[in-house]
Amino acid sequence: MSVMRGAEKKEGEPKKEREIIKAAKGVMYGMALHGMVTYALRLRMHMENLFMLITMGDMLGVPVLPPYYSLRLLPYAVPYLKTWKQTLLRDRDITDSLY
Amino acid sequence: MTTAVSATQNMGLYLASNPGVKYILFGGKGGLGKTTLSAATSYWLAKQGKKVCVFSTDPQASLTDIFERKIFGQGEVEIAKNLYALEIDADKRIAEYQNEIRQKIRDMYKMETIPEEVEDYINSSSAEPAMAESATFDAMVELMTSGRYDYYVFDMMPHGHAIRFLGMADILDQWVAKIMEVRKKAGEYKESASVLGSQKGGLAQEDYVLKELEFIRNRLDFVSNMVRDKTHTAFFYVLIPELMPILDTRKALEMFRAFDVTVSGVVVNQVYPQELRDSGGVPDFLKHKIDSQQEYLGQIKGEFADLIRGVVPMLDREPKGLEMIGRVAGILFGDSGVFLR
Repeated sequence: MSVMRGAEKKEGEPKKEREIIKAAKGVMYGMALHGMVTYALRLRMHMENLFMLITMGDMLGVPVLPPYYSLRLLPYAVPYLKTWKQTLLRDRDITDSLY
Repeated sequence: MTTAVSATQNMGLYLASNPGVKYILFGGKGGLGKTTLSAATSYWLAKQGKKVCVFSTDPQASLTDIFERKIFGQGEVEIAKNLYALEIDADKRIAEYQNEIRQKIRDMYKMETIPEEVEDYINSSSAEPAMAESATFDAMVELMTSGRYDYYVFDMMPHGHAIRFLGMADILDQWVAKIMEVRKKAGEYKESASVLGSQKGGLAQEDYVLKELEFIRNRLDFVSNMVRDKTHTAFFYVLIPELMPILDTRKALEMFRAFDVTVSGVVVNQVYPQELRDSGGVPDFLKHKIDSQQEYLGQIKGEFADLIRGVVPMLDREPKGLEMIGRVAGILFGDSGVFLR
């Protein structure tokens, strides 16, 4: 029994250590990298929206690329169409710039 | 007032001295005989033992009428030994293409039915005016890259359309390059996010999209390079001895020069034989027509002298059927200036 307790204690310590390290990593990530990752993802989102606009623009009445070619890209855009349309067509106000 | 207009280097000699030529294009205003001359050139080359395909990019194509065979929308039709003709049914090609896209979406996402907005988009695309041009363009590239023939002869659409057709390739090429840039940048940001954080990368999808863009760009590049490649491409302009076609040819030469496309020569078509004027019983109406043509022939000689590759007379019968096409080919590739002297 005492052996088992010892084992639990031994296993428990690295687990706790791991949790501390994980938390420290989280804090470090939050302090140093989270902003950069969010920024990169936001840029990626803008690029994605731009790409969708110049390829599938005529879905929103902005004819840019001839449809013969945009049709080739359509299968890859199917999962993103709804979100893209919502992003592009939603009303914006001053609070958007805070995000 | 006889104007001796002859080819400084006729079609046969031109092709003999440019053995690398594989693509032959005929352009010009509508109704001047581009289809007839394309058919005649293909006929002559086929008779020389070369495997030839004549293709009409003109929406008002008339290879079916010229060869008196059903060609429209039938794929590559064998007209005679070594001679094949192709007339694209753009609507049919668009419908097939749309079905391919629908099937691809169903396969990719295991869907029974296509989402309504996607289906609407696919359906509405066929109403776009550029769709037919793009489909023809695509068919043209597909044929050229097939490598099945020794020569590809293209009966181009009338001048304005042809310029737009060539311009379209250039503009789209630059456009696709920009799109690729955006796509690559988007991929880089995604990758940075995955390296820095725990975001999953989307590179597999990214690669497919870039591959598609690369495919589109290669197709566009092929045509852009082909029309500018003097070694493999010969571009002939057809005109008749009248003011408007002369002005049109002058303008076209300037515009093609702006696109860096060299016109290999001009062919003067539908010329009334001078001998006809001097023969008895010719009505004044016809005499005036011949005189007017002779005047314009002088202008053509002065303006396009070194570029004249052939002079084809107005024939006593409509140039259709293999026999008549053979006759036109004989004139075009023979000593075409003789009859005018």
